Amino acid sequence: MGIADDVRQVARGWRWTRRPLVPASVERELTAPHDFPTSWIRTPLGKAAREVAQRWALGPVLNYEVDVEITGADILKPLKPPVIFVLNHSSHLDAATIVTSLPTEWRRKAAVGAAADYFFDVWYRSVATTLFFNAFPIARGGGLRSARLARKLLADGWSLVLFPEGTRTKDGWIGQFRTGAAWLAIEAGVPVVPVALTGTYQAMPRGRSWPKPGRPPVGVRFGTPIWAEDGERPQSFSDRLRLGLGAVIEEDRTGWWQTLRAGAEGELLDPGGPQVAQWRRMWEGSRPARRSHARSVWEPEKDEWSHEAPWSAGELLAGGFPGEGPEAFDAGDDEEP
Amino acid sequence: MSRPGFVLEVDERTPPLLFHNGEGFRLERLPLGSRVVYPPESLPGIKDVDAAIDHALDHPQGSEPLTALLTRGMKLTIAIDDISIPLPQMKTPDIRGRILEHVLERAARAGVDDVEIIIATALHRRMTAAEVKRAVGERVYRSFWPHALYNFDAEDPDALIHVGKTEMGEDVEISKRAATSDLLVYVNINLVAMDGGHKSVPVGLASYKSLKHHHNVHTMLHSRSYMDPPASALHSSATRMGHLLAEHVKIFTIETTLNNDTFGPPFDFLMRREWEWSAKDQAAYLATKASTDRAPAHLKRSIFHKIYSPYGITGINAGETEAVHTRTLANLHRQQLVEVNGQSDILIAGLPFVGPYNVNSIMNPILVVCLGLGYFFNLYRNQPLVRPGGVMIMFHPVRREFHQVHHPSYVDFFEEVLAETTDPAVIESKYEESFATDPWYIHLYRTSHAYHGVHPFYMWYWASHAMQHLGDVIFVGGDRKTVARLGFRSAGTLADALEMASETVGRTPRITALKVPPLLLADVR
Repeated sequence: MGIADDVRQVARGWRWTRRPLVPASVERELTAPHDFPTSWIRTPLGKAAREVAQRWALGPVLNYEVDVEITGADILKPLKPPVIFVLNHSSHLDAATIVTSLPTEWRRKAAVGAAADYFFDVWYRSVATTLFFNAFPIARGGGLRSARLARKLLADGWSLVLFPEGTRTKDGWIGQFRTGAAWLAIEAGVPVVPVALTGTYQAMPRGRSWPKPGRPPVGVRFGTPIWAEDGERPQSFSDRLRLGLGAVIEEDRTGWWQTLRAGAEGELLDPGGPQVAQWRRMWEGSRPARRSHARSVWEPEKDEWSHEAPWSAGELLAGGFPGEGPEAFDAGDDEEP
Repeated sequence: MSRPGFVLEVDERTPPLLFHNGEGFRLERLPLGSRVVYPPESLPGIKDVDAAIDHALDHPQGSEPLTALLTRGMKLTIAIDDISIPLPQMKTPDIRGRILEHVLERAARAGVDDVEIIIATALHRRMTAAEVKRAVGERVYRSFWPHALYNFDAEDPDALIHVGKTEMGEDVEISKRAATSDLLVYVNINLVAMDGGHKSVPVGLASYKSLKHHHNVHTMLHSRSYMDPPASALHSSATRMGHLLAEHVKIFTIETTLNNDTFGPPFDFLMRREWEWSAKDQAAYLATKASTDRAPAHLKRSIFHKIYSPYGITGINAGETEAVHTRTLANLHRQQLVEVNGQSDILIAGLPFVGPYNVNSIMNPILVVCLGLGYFFNLYRNQPLVRPGGVMIMFHPVRREFHQVHHPSYVDFFEEVLAETTDPAVIESKYEESFATDPWYIHLYRTSHAYHGVHPFYMWYWASHAMQHLGDVIFVGGDRKTVARLGFRSAGTLADALEMASETVGRTPRITALKVPPLLLADVR
């Protein structure tokens, strides 16, 4: 083998143009300790740098690439920081979307929890993640070090942005919640604000490193704060948070009143989605998002993003997706409701 | 925090894995599902080594403190391990020198005049003055070399004494100076579980007459493995000799264990797990590979033998031999043990540039066999990593090259003995005696820097357990004629080797690969 062959072997082996992979058997083991320091981003100089990065770089780029619609941010008005924002996680767009969607006074005092093994694996990614998102590393396997830092941030008045699923969804539905966010909220006595992110999965699913062209719509909907009850265990609180977040997503899909009614009737869809074949979950989860706002006059009459799911929560709970005949493959009703 | 040892299962996401290949390296993609055993990461070394030495000497195991054993007018002998360990050599100051200074400091204060330091070479080559100076430190070297600091001579009849026979009839003949001392202090580096304990004095200071009782084919075949002393006939024999010696001479053992910090910059990429390689590690690999592929062998050797390891010390224990060695083994296991579930059909290993007998020298074909089938195969407890009748595949160029000064008898062993037979038992009965007593080899051993005439035989016996256990041995990249002379087979690539192995183990073998060095000891369940 010549030098060229060696270089080619290394380039392929370590995927020079992409993130290197980690063998599955390694992921089951303890990952390396992550000691990347992030306190510098919370110094006055770091805050200034972050303000520039978020306001003049991240925000404009995100708005150029996707069409963000923010709903329900007024629920934050009566609250005092710190709080914990919990979000569903389906895309690398999520952190950028929430950071640029928070009201300014909240954004400036918000720190995002990011997977240590993914975002803090090499120095340049660690620096970028910290700079743009005021991120701090979280060991996905749990661990006292992450918990200590998160506790300290809360104690210092920083609101935390956490993705309790711990990883991006594979099919668009919400996965199981880890109990870290609930545990922190109970310990610090702070409220948890569920935030539903919609459209990010469709805009930039797993495997994509940049949003799809055409400014796909992305929704950010803030839900009612949830407090832990006296003596509530983290697991139980975590389950409630998951249902609460599911309700916000449902509200985004069907409407506030409909969600209230469905909740009252016990018909709220499990946020994990229906227990049907994986491909059908994927199929529905990846259905293009619809715009919830009225069509602007300069938009084309036929909107490629306006395919609405032709099913209701109740129908899904009944054990499958309705409309499974040939009509399921029709373009659907393009008219806005 | 150092992570424990680990068994990787090769999948689609696994990058190519690095294997040593003599004075070079190669990246290999193993078949999906192969297991790769990684050694534990380096434990933290002792921060204050001098304080640890003091503590060990002043609070020994099963013995009075060293100071209490030192008296004016006494005869004190200190023996130290030779250049065969550690591998690679450690950065200075060598731990042997540091311990020697502490021992001698106490001896000086006690008014001990009669002190001699012996390099426990047994039948190994004599260390050069520069090598000795490096090991013991300038201060000790200048004070004692060459009259009171010297290499052991196992062929000097005036320097040997027959202490007696064990209950099994084994002759115990060791250095007269050591055996007739009021106190014998042995300073050891316990690199692997085979070292130390009763294997120090009865072996390191013994003559051929004594060594042949345990350095023989029968003993080797009953050492399963000799990295697991309780299951080793070699160690049983050495222990019997040690017990006999302990009746005649007071032995104060000092044992040390090292961590796994084997390679420092720029070779620290060899210590990292491949999926964690940074761009710098990849660049370092490519640069090293490009250089080693093109450089002449003698240049590569001179570079590689200048690699000095930044080892940390994980333990220093002193006192009665067995009490000390128990603690030493516990320390060693803490650093090296990796649990592995079950045997496999094929064992793969990349052999590095250095073994115990080619420090500052050339790894000749017989030493390659000793390293691969002797040491690497035996890095196990309970049962071998590969099933009986399985195949061992090794990466090494196996060049037909010998160091004419260090290994003269090896040349004749290769050309004459192996041309006749490769069967260890036949070799032992037919040729060993003539090589062991050959006056020319003895002369070179005593006056030059040559290994004893019988040494290549021992290397071959070392591999006898593996030879008996394995169904096939294949060297990837090995020189065909040389490998054939050794009685094994050569393959151009790993794929070819696996194809050849399929004749023995079928088309869907279970494969285990060893990522050594750094060292590990597989606890095979």
